[in-house]
Amino acid sequence: MNRSSTVALLIFVAILGYFLSFGAESTRKLQAGFYQLVSPFLTTGSGLEKQITAMRTGLKSLEELERDNADLRVENRSLKATNHALRDVEREVNRLRLALNYRERDVFKLVPAEILTRDASTWWRTVTINRGKRDGIQGDMAVVTDAGLVGKTTTVSDSISVVLLVSDENCRVAASVEGTREQGIVAGERVAGALTPFLDLNFLSKQANLQPGQKAYTSGVGGVFPSGLLIGTVKEYRVRELDSQARLLPAVDLSKLEDVFVVTGRK
Amino acid sequence: MIFFAILLVLVFLAQIIELFIPPLEWMYNAHIYIVPIIVFYGAMALPFPLMLALSFFAGLLLDALTMQPIGTRVEIALGWSILVYAVLASIMHGLRPLFIRGRWEIHCIMSGVCTSLILLAQYLMITFRRGSILFTPEAWWQIGGPGVIAMIMAPLMFWVLHSIGDATGNPFLPERESY
Repeated sequence: MNRSSTVALLIFVAILGYFLSFGAESTRKLQAGFYQLVSPFLTTGSGLEKQITAMRTGLKSLEELERDNADLRVENRSLKATNHALRDVEREVNRLRLALNYRERDVFKLVPAEILTRDASTWWRTVTINRGKRDGIQGDMAVVTDAGLVGKTTTVSDSISVVLLVSDENCRVAASVEGTREQGIVAGERVAGALTPFLDLNFLSKQANLQPGQKAYTSGVGGVFPSGLLIGTVKEYRVRELDSQARLLPAVDLSKLEDVFVVTGRK
Repeated sequence: MIFFAILLVLVFLAQIIELFIPPLEWMYNAHIYIVPIIVFYGAMALPFPLMLALSFFAGLLLDALTMQPIGTRVEIALGWSILVYAVLASIMHGLRPLFIRGRWEIHCIMSGVCTSLILLAQYLMITFRRGSILFTPEAWWQIGGPGVIAMIMAPLMFWVLHSIGDATGNPFLPERESY
């Protein structure tokens, strides 16, 4: 090995040693910096991807657009009316809860976000979204859609955040099952062979006897995920030696995510 | 040096493009990786110090854009991908005499094998961290599939990169033209 190669190797080892000494927080900061650096490329790439998809699915005629617009207006009016009615119900529920000495039930503060990239690596189920610190996003915030739970934020840069999906093995969610007193922990599979993987609801009691179709919701234990978010529905149930386990079909189709909401707090 | 700078830009662009390539559902969600092919070509066409610099850049990008620190835990510490890239690129660099003699087939096969080895190393590290050793058929597909795809893509990518090297007057290319 010649002199320049030896010097290069020594410098390489020194810098490598420096990076290997990074802890979780330093790693997250460096990642946030990198994401900020590549954010223009990710935004442009995502825009191009959307345009290509739009071209592939075909352009709609003016007549179709008018029809869609009319349908959406009707739906909007109907949702507004439902919203008004629900607000009355919310007030009434809170009044009754107050009368029974319960804490008032709050409404979530949601920040809408678009998906930029998905499944960046083989071993972690993640997506990146176009919202970051500037929009009030922090690490460990729940991410949802109208259908249910999507995951939680991990690395957050100024304008981009990484969301660890509920289908990742590392995303653990405390859950309760409707119609029962059963509580368990939901986690994804380490290696999923399908675009929409199943979730495992572990540590249920042996007497849980869950039935296919029963819904699992976040229980609110742990503080990251607010209670009452739909996680998925039971597909299979099996009793193990010490406990029982249910396999859930995620409420959200994680392979077709377009828009999500980050729960930034309560109103 | 111009060729080295071009390779750095290509590695950066390929890493961004990889983020937008969806996994192949028919191959048990195997991903397509372009960066390793560029790095392994660089390992053959560049001198040792520049090969190390290219491996460093590719490894750092991979770690920064894909690794996931969970809470206070880091499953694969920042820098491991740099080390894995450097070791594998050094092996490819060791096969450089073959490349200089114009034998590129072995490097195409090795690019695929090394791509799978990167994924295997990552999988072993997360398996070690998470506890239980799981080697399902899906896991093997997700490790081996990208390698097979890299092997198929390598001849074309090598030809394109070789042409760029030729055009930029890279002095470290094979003495005998064979592409």
